Amino acid sequence: MALINVAAREIHCKIVYYGPGLCGKTTNLKYIHSAVPGQAKGDLISIATETERTLFFDFLPLDLGQVHGFQTRIHLFTVPGQVLYERTRVAVLNGADGVVFVADSQRHKLQEDVQSLQELARNVTLMGKKFLEFPLVMQYNKRDLENALPVEVMDRYLNSIRVPRYEASASSGVGVFDTLKAISKLVISKL
Amino acid sequence: MDPQLTSLAVSEKDTVAIEDCLERLIGDTNANYSILLDKSGQVIASRGDTQRQDITALGALLAGTFASSREVARLLREKDFRVLFQQGVKENIFTELIEEQWMLVVMFDKRTHIGLVKVLAKRATDELGRVLQQVRVQSRQRDAVISTSFRTSVEDTIDLLFRD
Repeated sequence: MALINVAAREIHCKIVYYGPGLCGKTTNLKYIHSAVPGQAKGDLISIATETERTLFFDFLPLDLGQVHGFQTRIHLFTVPGQVLYERTRVAVLNGADGVVFVADSQRHKLQEDVQSLQELARNVTLMGKKFLEFPLVMQYNKRDLENALPVEVMDRYLNSIRVPRYEASASSGVGVFDTLKAISKLVISKL
Repeated sequence: MDPQLTSLAVSEKDTVAIEDCLERLIGDTNANYSILLDKSGQVIASRGDTQRQDITALGALLAGTFASSREVARLLREKDFRVLFQQGVKENIFTELIEEQWMLVVMFDKRTHIGLVKVLAKRATDELGRVLQQVRVQSRQRDAVISTSFRTSVEDTIDLLFRD
């Protein structure tokens, strides 16, 4: 739930990057952190294992600066993607205003994508929100890989609810900002 | 709690009441710092040692810790862990849940005692719970802050900042 602090003239929103293990959630945040101008970003905090797999979450605060006298801040989080960490994902999802679902486009990852999306729908519903009305943007990541599935196939299995979706290659930054812009605007529109 | 409520608007009057409560808590317990967090990790108000930095990151991490402990509670078929205590060498952190929405964090050192912090934090959470109630009611009636022109300006800023 977004927070509007009238006295401090601040607005805060929380966006969570969700998806199966190794789909590129952390890579999205790393790219955003590297490309956003210095005054608009805080430190990127990663709680990861020794092998750099996300253990709890990554956190990146973004500051849009003053808009109509309100300091507007967007906090980005990622969840740990591995199946083992389902309850941790629930914890990170708590209080989210919007979600980016990052799907891995590789052929052999489709089943994991579908399962992760089903789990997301379940967890959003458990938070008391209506999944079909919840701000959600989809990112088909790793489009640059040879074994990437055609977009139409991914649409059929993952996006029957027809939310905005973007093709991306997060490691080189392609599609990362398109996705971020779309979810940020969607969240702001629901405030 | 209304799960479909998309934002919580804290008025100036409520902020004053919250800050007074935090200030009093620090004064009475001799603690170093106190923060009121929303469950997503956003800092609503903080009081105490002004040298402290990275409050934003601290808020996100403390809320994450609390949310994680809530899931542990669920696995143990506990209703909730309403209190969390982290003991350090120099400083300790006491966190208490306020209804299901906010968290009160108190950071203190050896100049005070956990028992005192616990008792007075309980009193403060009761008071803050009443403020939260007002905030919820007002949030349902709010629309003056978020106007169409505000949304348009935010969208322009997003386009300007979020690009390669």
